[in-house]
This record gives sequence, structure tokens and C-alpha cells, in this order.
Amino acid sequence: MNSRDQISGLFWLGISIFVCLESSRVGIGTFHSPGPGFLPFWAGVVLGTFAIILIVTNILKKQKENEITNLWKGVEWSKVILVFASLFIYTTLFTKVGYLITTFGLMAVLFSVVERRKIWIQGVTALITALVTYFVFYKWLGVQLPKGILGF
Amino acid sequence: MEILHSLLYGFSVGLQPANILFCFIGVLIGTLVGVLPGIGPVGAISILLPTTFHMSPVSAIIMLAGIYYGAMYGGSTTSILVNIPGEAASVVTCLDGYQMARKGRAGPALGIAAFGSFIAGTLGLIGLMIFAAPLAEFGLRFGPPEYFAVILLGLTLITHLSQGSVIKAIIMGAFGIILSCVGLDHIQASPRMTFNLIQLWDGIDLVPIAMGLFGIAEILSNIEKTTAPEILKTKIKNLFPTVLDWMQAKGAILRGSVLGFFLGILPGGGAVIASFFSYSLEKKISKEPSKFGNGAIEGVAGPESANNAATAGAFVPFLTLGIPPNILMALLFGALVIHGIRPGPFLLKDHPDIFWGLISSMYIGNGMLLVLNLPLIPIWVQVLKVPYRILFPVILLFCVIGSYSINNKSFDVLIMVIFGVVGYLFRKFDYEGAPLLLAFVLGPLLELNLRQSLILSKGNFSIFFTRPISAAATSLAIIIFILPLFSYFIKKKKA
Repeated sequence: MNSRDQISGLFWLGISIFVCLESSRVGIGTFHSPGPGFLPFWAGVVLGTFAIILIVTNILKKQKENEITNLWKGVEWSKVILVFASLFIYTTLFTKVGYLITTFGLMAVLFSVVERRKIWIQGVTALITALVTYFVFYKWLGVQLPKGILGF
Repeated sequence: MEILHSLLYGFSVGLQPANILFCFIGVLIGTLVGVLPGIGPVGAISILLPTTFHMSPVSAIIMLAGIYYGAMYGGSTTSILVNIPGEAASVVTCLDGYQMARKGRAGPALGIAAFGSFIAGTLGLIGLMIFAAPLAEFGLRFGPPEYFAVILLGLTLITHLSQGSVIKAIIMGAFGIILSCVGLDHIQASPRMTFNLIQLWDGIDLVPIAMGLFGIAEILSNIEKTTAPEILKTKIKNLFPTVLDWMQAKGAILRGSVLGFFLGILPGGGAVIASFFSYSLEKKISKEPSKFGNGAIEGVAGPESANNAATAGAFVPFLTLGIPPNILMALLFGALVIHGIRPGPFLLKDHPDIFWGLISSMYIGNGMLLVLNLPLIPIWVQVLKVPYRILFPVILLFCVIGSYSINNKSFDVLIMVIFGVVGYLFRKFDYEGAPLLLAFVLGPLLELNLRQSLILSKGNFSIFFTRPISAAATSLAIIIFILPLFSYFIKKKKA
């Protein structure tokens, strides 16, 4: 299983089975009186059908190289993981800790992702970004940014 | 005559100081977004959509539309100077625009792109005014079967006209429809695929998905690259094309305008396809096709005109039938729905201020863009020099704030982050996000009209084939769907 189309096809097949089962649970209804599961069920059937077509057409092609490992060859995928992890942690702490502190932390991490600079430069840039966006969005545009347990 | 009166009314709306300001903000941001690789008009509109909630619907649509056609102007700058398209519709401009710049003709390339865009944009608006009213009248004859059939045709076209694999585009479309069904069913209020999460009862919002798939995913794809783009170090002079340049480009501009406008109307068509078609056409009819790819001015003038005319054409089905033909129109559709306005045949009658105000603002916006693009090119060049390590965290932060501000819920930010990773993986596995997003926006309309049609016909599918408009649209959708299968089997037989 080294083809990205085979893997993605199996993924979509799994999704389509799940969707069809869920749609049956809420009620597909009849053609006379379509239920809430009607459209998602048939969309799931289309999804599953084309997932199978994708898998089959890929099996019929002669696959030589390992496409999966090639996807991440020569690219800095660790930076992608770092950005995603930072965003995920930020999202979970955002409303609890508050906008300013979490944004300062996020910016400090993100500014160092592409190119590392001196820590104090990154820190100051992150602080300025957090403060400027706080004033622009919260004070000026009235966007309700979360205050968190510390009140800011 | 009636069109002129309506247009004058439109100018009375468009020339209000607030609307002029929002038009200016929109075209400025659009140009900036078009200039900067790494964020396109879809990402920009997604990010700025929440800021329009406090505006009037007219101002909101004027600003967001300004971002759309402004990006078409701005995209040519990076294509010509850096050989990297600022957005997808300017890909083709790289072929000859960059070659012109390498030969010291960056100025005329940028100049003809701006003037061509202005002429095409203006001609496109004239087309929009001429076609809108008759099409809106036509749209009044639409019932649930017609709407279902036209939406189905639109989704079929967009999956078959996508740049990648048709199979994958259909998968994306089906998945988009499934995503649109998440939440409480609109008729019976049964929870569908909510995983017992109360946050999903209202479904998934458009903005986090759009920002994730196009904003966050674009950034993730860019930061994994190991090399940074290099800006061409050339003096930009003589921004006004010469008489010879005009003689060579005038045909391309006119052809691009007409081609772009009609391709923009087609669902799945739009600025990207228009620019490619225009380039192919110019190369085919040229007396010296070998000069294409080596700095032919027609290779810049045609596609840049086509992509601007296509933006005007895209408004035709969106405003008159309420069917967005591409992803950008889908976002504008979402913006108007959020303001409680439903685009469609009744928009012209019930909200002429929105319709004609938008058209007049596009005239004003085109004029602003001509002024912004040429003299400000040295400034845009400086903007390009902002290091990506500073740009991308700021863009990410804007995405986060934009997502959060919709409902003041961190759940929306989480959805955006998840779809950011999903969009990044889509790019890795060669899936396009556009069919998914368009299907997501049209899914609720598709479901409503399908269920209403089946209830009307007591479950008989022949309702889609007995009414003339829906019969034509449904048959066309089926033919387009089946055609690739036929050509596949014919090819196999020949082999």
C-alpha cells in the first residue's frame, strides 16, 4: 500500500460507510417523503462509489515508486507539525488563559519557525504583534477577544 | 434607457462616502492579496468576512467584491516580476510576463496588464448590466425542480472542469454535500452526524472551513518549502505601453474580454479557466506562435483581460439566479445570506440598491485599481520583500481572530485548524478544495429543493424531466457526467 490514491480511496470508502450508516440511523425516508438522512445517504453512496473507482483505477496502473514517502521528501515537514501543534495548543488555551498571553506565546513560536533569530528579537516582535492586534481588534473594531482567568 | 436609469440609481448608492471608502479598502486589500503569494482572494475574503457583519449588506458586498476583482489586478505583479503567480488566475501571465521583464520590458508588461484589466473589467460590467435583467426574469420561472437541476448542473460542471482528476473532484463534491448536512436537519430538526456535540447542532460554519482549506493550508504548504522566491532586480520604467504595444495587444484584450465574460458565467469556469483559454486562443491565432513563451505582449494582455472580464461574468448567475458559479462567489453568497439577503431572481426587484450599487461600485473600483496599480508598483515591489517569516504568523493570527469573531467560540477556531491540516493533506494527495467548498455552500439549497420536488411529485423523479428548464439542465448534467466514461472506453478500445 504505497500509493496515495489507494490510501485516500480507502479513507473515503470508510467515510462513505460511516455516513451511510449514520444516515440510515436518522432515517432515509422514501422517495415520496425523503427523510433527514436522504441526501447524506446518497451523497455517501456517490462518495463510496468513486472511492472504489479510484482504488481500482490505481490498482490497474503499474505502481513503481513509493508515493507516500516521496510526499514528504525534500520538504521541511517538521515545521508543518510544529505550526499545527502550536495552533492546536493555542486553540485549547485561548479562552482559558486569554488572548494576550496565548497570542504572545504563539507568535514567539511562529516567528522562529521559518528562520531563527535572537530570542529577544523574537520576543519583542511577538509582544508587539500581540499588543497591536489586541488594540486594533478588541479596542478599535470591537471584536470580543477572550480575557481568560487573568482578566486580559 | 431603463438600464441607464438603474445605473444612475446605482451610482447614487455607490458614490456614498462610506461605500466609496469600503470599495477603496476592498480593492486595496485585493491588490495586496493579489501581489502577495501565499494568500489568495479566497483566503482574504474568508478572513475579512466576519468584519462585514457590522456593515450594511451593500457596503459588505462592495468591499468583498472589491477584494475579488482587485486580486485579479494585483496577481499580475508577482507573475511578471517574480515568476510566481500572486493568485491562480495569473499563472499564465508568468509565461510571457516574466520573459518580458527579463528583457527589460517589465514596465510595459505591467502597464498592459493594468490597462487590459481595466478595459476588460469595464466591458464585463456592460455585459453584466445587459444580461442581468433578462436572466433575472427567466429565473422567476424557477421552481424547486429547476433550482435542483441547475445546482446539480453547476456542481457537475465544476467537478468536470477542475484542473486535477475528475474522480477526485467528484469525491470532493460529495464530501462537501455531506459536510453541509452536519447539524440539525432543517425540516425535522433531527441531529445528523453531530457526534453528540452541541456545538455542531448549528452545523459547521462556512468561514472556518474556507479559512482552513485555503488560508491555513496554503501557509502550511508554503512553510515546508526550503527555498524562498527571488525578486527580479530590474528597473521598472515606461509603465505606459507604446503605440506598437497597443497595436499588438488590442485584439488580445478584446478577445480576452469576450471569452472571459462568457466563461465566467459558467459554473466551474471563472478567472482561472478564462486566462488559460485566452492564452491558448492567442497562441493558436497568432502569426508568430513561436514568440509565445518568450515575451509576447499578447500572452500578457489576453489572459489578464480574460480573468478580469470573468469576474464580472461570474456575478451574472450569482446575482440573478442565486447560484454561485465558483468558490469566490460562494463566499459572497454566504456573506449575503449572513446579512439576511438571498441572491436570486428577486434580488433585482427587492434589493435594487445592492444590485445596482454593486455594479456602480465595480465601475468606481476599476478606476481606482488603474490608479493604484500603475503608480504604486514600486510600493508593491517593496511589499513583496517582506520576509515570509514575518508575514505568515500575522496571516495565521488574522485567520484565528476571524474564525473566533463569528460566534465568539474557540470551537470555530479548532474547526479552522483541523480543516487547515485537512486542506494541507488534500494538496499532498492532489485533491482540490474548490469543489468541496462550492458543494458545501450549495448543499442546503440542493437538499431543500430536492426534498420539495419529491414531495411535489409524490416521489416521482420524472418531475426533473417533464419541466423544460429542469429537463434541459438535468440532461446536460447527466451527459457531462457520463461523457468522460465514454471517452475512456473509446480510448481503451483504440488502444
